[in-house]
Amino acid sequence: MPEQRVIHRYGAVAQALHWIIAALIVTQFVLASLAEDLPAGMHKLALLARHKSFGMTVLMLAVVRLAWRLFNKPPPLPPGMKPYEVALAKITHSLFYVLLFALPVTGWLMSSSKGYTVSWFNLFAWPNLVPKDETAFKILKSRHEMLATILFFVAILHILAALKHHVWNKDDVLRRMLPFTNTGK
Amino acid sequence: MSQLRKFGFTCALAIAAGGSAFAAAPIPPLVSDPAHSQLEFSGIQAGAPFKGLFKKFTASVSLDPNQLAASRIEVQIDLNSLDSQDADRDTAMRGSDFFDVARMPSAHYVARAITKTAKGYAATGSLTLRGVTRDVAIEFQYAPSAAGATLSGTSKVKRLDFGVGQGEWNSTEWVGDEVKIQFSLFLKPPR
Repeated sequence: MPEQRVIHRYGAVAQALHWIIAALIVTQFVLASLAEDLPAGMHKLALLARHKSFGMTVLMLAVVRLAWRLFNKPPPLPPGMKPYEVALAKITHSLFYVLLFALPVTGWLMSSSKGYTVSWFNLFAWPNLVPKDETAFKILKSRHEMLATILFFVAILHILAALKHHVWNKDDVLRRMLPFTNTGK
Repeated sequence: MSQLRKFGFTCALAIAAGGSAFAAAPIPPLVSDPAHSQLEFSGIQAGAPFKGLFKKFTASVSLDPNQLAASRIEVQIDLNSLDSQDADRDTAMRGSDFFDVARMPSAHYVARAITKTAKGYAATGSLTLRGVTRDVAIEFQYAPSAAGATLSGTSKVKRLDFGVGQGEWNSTEWVGDEVKIQFSLFLKPPR
């Protein structure tokens, strides 16, 4: 039986998308929490404008990433994982994909319902998805925040799992997503 | 002789009176009907357009297409009546960094030098806003009707020319300098 060629590392595109989106999401949490406590003013306006521009960037990258994921098989999970661990990994990764769309889209809806058109780094304006509606805005705001909280805990779980694989299991799960490292395969 | 002189004097007086009356023939003013008149503004905030309107304003228009030199448009705007579709933004715009309505609650525009253009009319006038008076040009269409007249048109104002945007707002990074004005007035004779 010929040896099956198995790719054990994520490719450069998948790695780039993973780390760029991760960095953007951290930035989003920082911008949102900084803006939250500010009174209405230019500083808040600037922070939220950047938050929206980065958020729309995440949405565009999420489209690219989902397409890439559908046409490029990720490396297999290491052998010896228990069925519940495999299930948890799959649920976590699926949740990430859902959240990568749901967060920017609820943010976009939220901004539209508030009557604020979303711009992308002052270069162009996105269309308003819904008409201005203060009640809808309040609901969308709470949904957006709820999704952000879910994303926060999913990300924590994801990071802990990666570290557990690296430190405890001593497998290549973390290294195969890290650029400039050798998985030895 | 004295009769003739008297007649001549009377004629001269009549001609003078008639002549002066003709030259100063006041154009009957029409005033805006608040229920059917809109005054809107639109600007750019954080790279995206936003719109608003002034709910309270009065326009007084004495316009005769055959007597443009004697024609006049005057508008008084209650800045406190602005509505930009967002309470935070409205508060900011009323505040001292923008219109400063506590000190200067109204804006005033008087058009002079009205001329006919290919599309309608153009006028240059003086806009007094936040204590600053500057020339502002408007372009408009004017259509008299049995009930009065309609006057609609546009203008562009640079907010920083009037100091609308103090301190950190005296910058075009997050709020654009140019504000577009759109108006559509239904004019009727004053009561």
